[in-house]
Amino acid sequence: MKSYDVIVIGGGVIGTSTAYQLAKKGYDVAILEQNDIASGTASRTDGATLISDKQPGIDVLQGYHSVELYKKIAKEFSYDIEFKSCGFMYVCETDAEMAAAEDYAAKVRAQGFEMRVIDSKEMCEREKYLAKDLKGGLWTESDGLVNPYKVCFGFIEQGKKYGLDVYTHHEVTGIKLDARNQIEGVITDRGNFITNKVVNACGVWAPFIGRMVGINIPIEPRKGMLLVSEKTDIIANTEVIEFGYWLAKFFVDFKRPVSELVEKHNVCMNIETTHSGNTIVGGCRLFRGYDIRSEHEIIQAIAERAIRFFPVLRDINCIRTFGGIRPFCLDQLPIVSAVEEVPGFYIAAGHEGDGIALAPITGLLMSQLIAGEKTDFDIAELSWARFKGIDLAKLSARAS
Amino acid sequence: MSKDLDDDMFVCRCEEVTVREIRQAIAEGARDVVGIKRRTRAGMGLCQGRTCEKMVQQILSQELGISPEETGTSSARPPVKPVDFGTLAKGVQ
Ligand SMILES: Cc1cc2nc3c(=O)[nH]c(=O)nc-3n(C[C@H](O)[C@H](O)[C@H](O)COP(=O)(O)OP(=O)(O)OC[C@H]3O[C@@H](n4cnc5c(N)ncnc54)[C@H](O)[C@@H]3O)c2cc1C
Repeated sequence: MKSYDVIVIGGGVIGTSTAYQLAKKGYDVAILEQNDIASGTASRTDGATLISDKQPGIDVLQGYHSVELYKKIAKEFSYDIEFKSCGFMYVCETDAEMAAAEDYAAKVRAQGFEMRVIDSKEMCEREKYLAKDLKGGLWTESDGLVNPYKVCFGFIEQGKKYGLDVYTHHEVTGIKLDARNQIEGVITDRGNFITNKVVNACGVWAPFIGRMVGINIPIEPRKGMLLVSEKTDIIANTEVIEFGYWLAKFFVDFKRPVSELVEKHNVCMNIETTHSGNTIVGGCRLFRGYDIRSEHEIIQAIAERAIRFFPVLRDINCIRTFGGIRPFCLDQLPIVSAVEEVPGFYIAAGHEGDGIALAPITGLLMSQLIAGEKTDFDIAELSWARFKGIDLAKLSARAS
Repeated sequence: MSKDLDDDMFVCRCEEVTVREIRQAIAEGARDVVGIKRRTRAGMGLCQGRTCEKMVQQILSQELGISPEETGTSSARPPVKPVDFGTLAKGVQ
């Protein structure tokens, strides 16, 4: 039977980053993935690496550290992850939305990060296809984009250089514990592994792995959908998102002047033109269980909203649509932590709409936790212990 | 036989993916059509793999010694053929 210092379960963006960092530290590491690398949510996503879609506090802080790490990784890796430091723009349709955006930007600035209020003129200079009748927006210079699958493959290829072993098409079906509840090994459909340390990086599937060691992980799938255009000239130079997106993400009670369909499916516009010249537009936030099918009404609502902000899209072809599910943690922060009651069990999951942006920092923090080192910054707020004494059933009421 | 295919030949014309890139993706761990697509973009273009999928399956099956059926297919997602956003927004699909 093969034996490893650490086994990472899940070959998404969080698992591959964690496995890479651990291998780099000199650990003997294996990654186990039930399908292929980047076959879960990491392949049904945009690639925005932002601090600007986070909540003020630790969320923005970890976003900042992660974007800084992307800059380094992009130079270091032999694999091109298509990182682009292109800046980021929020756009506001009404005065009320603009006021909410200004308030948010002030909080981010108070934390020491840059986020500037801009007017419609500057917006249109930066984005020539943007609707001319908007009230204003926010600009964050340091934000950027990556190619999400390439990030996963990049971590894997770089990890292999440090001896990382990759087992795709290995579904974890059980975890062996000893009499003291300490991790002893991992059971898969294609053989067993010996290890004392396991990282659960299974995103929306993390709760299933949690149950294998007797814990309830409060993560639920939150659906999104994206529409992909044919290749055209660059439609959006940066990532552009309507500010309502941020409000919807964090359940802020806010009414937008939108159609019934847009309202019904909680659709908020986000757009990016990728490295390949295709433009991806979204999106929505819905609780639909594990269903990732493309839904016609949502496609309609996303197209309508996208044209509202980028009228040029009206005559551009859509070639593909897809749905994905975000690992939504019920208190809206990821879990990056050891689990005290199961020695050797770690969780790196629950990154909702930020897993791509946060993967580098999560991997690094996880490797520091496992090595027993001081983490780059205090991450008590991301700990498993934060759920002690909390009624998880109450939290989940919000999600339904 | 895929062994005879020239490395520089284009498999996916929409995304300009060559036989060499497909072989490289297999060496990196791709085992099916979707795995090739994610690593190389073959099948992500305007025709959504209608032209190249068969050849991708053939190369996979040759290189990995599996049957073409085992190499899978790309998941079918709307729209069936390219359609402009204006039409989508009207709900006509
Ligand atoms: C529409 C949409 C747009 C988004 N846009 C952005 C964005 O712009 N920027 C951003 O930062 N984030 C974005 N996100 C969020 C981001 O995609 C996720 O946070 C991220 O992909 C989660 O990564 P993960 O590694 O935790 O999960 P995943 O990528 O899902 O990886 C988990 C892996 O675990 C594997 N697994 C599960 N169970 C088992 C088992 N029993 N045995 C072995 N393996 C198993 C799965 O197969 C999967 O590959 C978006 C998400 C969606 C849906």
